[in-house]
Amino acid sequence: MKRFGVGFVFVIALSFIVASLSAPPGATAAAKTVKPAAAAAAKTVTIGFTASKTGKFNVEATRQINGLHLWMEQVNGAGGIKLADGTVIKVADKFYDDESKKERVQELYTKLINTDKADFLISPYSSGLTDASAVIAQQYNRIMITAGAASDSTYKKGYTLVYQSYTPASRYLTGAVDILLKLAPKAKKIAIIHENDKFATDVVKALKIYAEKKGLNVALFEGYDSGTADFAPFINKIPADVDAIMGGGHFADTTTLARQLYEKKINTKMIALLVAPPEPKFAELGDACISVVGSSQWEPLAHFTKESAAKEGITWFGPTGEEFINAYKAKYKEDPSYHSAGGYVAGMILQDAIMKAGSTDTAKVKAALDAMNIMTFYGQLKFATGPKDHGLQLGHDMVYIQWQKDKQGKAMKQVVWPLAGATASAFVCPAR
Amino acid sequence: MKVWQKPGFWLPLVIVLVWGGAVLLIHQDTMRESAFVLLMAVGLASSLNILLGYTGYVSFGHIVFFGLGGYTGFYLLSEQGWPLFASAIGGGLLSAFIAGLVGLAVLRLRGAYFALATIGINEAARAFVSNFEPYGGATGMFVNFSAYQKYGGPGPALWTTFTFLWITTMVVLVASYLVKHSRFGLGLLAIREDEDAAMVMGVKAPKAKTITYVISAFFPGVIGTLYFFKNGNIEPGDAFQLHMSIEMLVMVMLGGMGTVMGPLVGAVGYQWLRGYLLTSPIFKDLHLAVAGAMLLVIILFVPAGLVGWVRNHVQRLQKVLE
Repeated sequence: MKRFGVGFVFVIALSFIVASLSAPPGATAAAKTVKPAAAAAAKTVTIGFTASKTGKFNVEATRQINGLHLWMEQVNGAGGIKLADGTVIKVADKFYDDESKKERVQELYTKLINTDKADFLISPYSSGLTDASAVIAQQYNRIMITAGAASDSTYKKGYTLVYQSYTPASRYLTGAVDILLKLAPKAKKIAIIHENDKFATDVVKALKIYAEKKGLNVALFEGYDSGTADFAPFINKIPADVDAIMGGGHFADTTTLARQLYEKKINTKMIALLVAPPEPKFAELGDACISVVGSSQWEPLAHFTKESAAKEGITWFGPTGEEFINAYKAKYKEDPSYHSAGGYVAGMILQDAIMKAGSTDTAKVKAALDAMNIMTFYGQLKFATGPKDHGLQLGHDMVYIQWQKDKQGKAMKQVVWPLAGATASAFVCPAR
Repeated sequence: MKVWQKPGFWLPLVIVLVWGGAVLLIHQDTMRESAFVLLMAVGLASSLNILLGYTGYVSFGHIVFFGLGGYTGFYLLSEQGWPLFASAIGGGLLSAFIAGLVGLAVLRLRGAYFALATIGINEAARAFVSNFEPYGGATGMFVNFSAYQKYGGPGPALWTTFTFLWITTMVVLVASYLVKHSRFGLGLLAIREDEDAAMVMGVKAPKAKTITYVISAFFPGVIGTLYFFKNGNIEPGDAFQLHMSIEMLVMVMLGGMGTVMGPLVGAVGYQWLRGYLLTSPIFKDLHLAVAGAMLLVIILFVPAGLVGWVRNHVQRLQKVLE
């Protein structure tokens, strides 16, 4: 027994060290606290959050925090947020590692608010961690802007101070139905195969309702366990005359699903999957990726401009997409993903609300957030204010991409929906 | 009461009593949150120790009772409108019931086979709950923020939850001591040393092990309900995390298995260290490496656990530290 104990704890200890060392080097360097330059007349607000610097959300959370830090640097570099009464607000941040685990999230947020005196909060990455932290934000009367928390349920719990920057999960794939009906108006049958976890289930439940409302028949609705690597049992169940296959879950499983659909020569008009398609790595599937449609919170290609905002009669705020991409590339030497844009936008939402409120007082900033309706490089931002779903994102829509072949026959992403921001038109899945 | 004359009985109790009492008196929120994490670890580690420490059966999937109990308690609370107290007890009872059923089957296995079976049970429970619609399936369940109003608003609700956890932890420690010092407990220790010999001597091993399993499963169910109520939501991924099971084992090992004081020391030491490193300005980027290195040092030089080491080296403390 004793020997077992020694060996056991030895292995655990080693795994800690390995986990810690295997974190990407950029994570530590980029995550250093950004401190604003001291200015005598300036007031400094502290933004508190936890970041998943270790654990399973490390990559996404690091990008999110990079985006937020870029925003902070730009705001402070421009001399801070200038209010109508002449006060200048600088921003500082305070954050801890939540290890991508829920256990300490509430403890850390309580500490951020009480000990570190955070004035505003940003959510951790993922809906699960955000759920735990939102209780604390609401309890201490702090505004929390969520990033990377797509689940609708977080905003249906009666919170009044939690605001979502992402398009909610219930609208993640509904646009795919619209694309299908545009491509093939006679489409009747779709099959849904999804990962059996919170996020994907939330998405496909809403998708099913929407598809049925549009007159489609959901011929197959099956969930698979997280980590599934063989989809043959599910693919074999797909009816032969199905018009579209939709679903998926996270990167690894969705990529495998797309590949096996190709290998099994499944013929259908459209394949629309979650999470994986917008990732550049999806191109490694070769021919199997061609024609696959995916939805993304934001794409560098998508065009939201001052002109398009003016056309819709919405106020423009913040940098253009190009300015954001260039600044991000210059600072972090990599292309921004939608997680990066989400982090940056969470900061912008606060900035716009503080400017409009003319104050950092919670009640005044809340009123400004409730009234917010702006267009940014990331899309439109507007929140639900009803008691049932306060803070839910209403303005922002998903962008749909499709993998197409360029002139050299190389796979590349094109934005195909919404039509206003499209860079190419969608096409029907070729016969396999 | 004779037991009160034994420091091994009252020492851990008094420590937790004074500690929780101080937190309640000072009434500071940051302190409460830290104490909640620590007390939860003490409760979980101590209940695991009742099985692991006294019978020597390594349960890798003990977190299944935290998850199942938490789920049931949360369901009673959010869907059936039960009060927190009754829900938590309900969660605990269900965990104990499941442990009774499962124990009859898997406790016939020994050593590595039992350990593997417990992991399997955890995974099976997760798969079951993910597909069980009354429990919200893969999406899980949540309580509306207004549910906290019943307890006087979110702030007082968190204090109520803390107080309840504090009491539960003390009950676990009492149970742990009583089991160890009963005739029943002596039977368990005999099983730990040599199960076949114990059976020859008249210990009814299968029954004794099952009862122990039931006791050690009840408390994680109660604690699970409190934890998920405090978080406001529950989903399969959070309820059945194998790494929490492993951390429970580490805490028991660090403190000294088979002692009442050991899991208390181990859990507080381990969680405090992790919490300190996580928020300390010097270590916060390297917290896992530092925690790992410290665990290595402790286990290389103090393999019997902290309490075990003290007991072995200081004769006089043997009666004080049970």
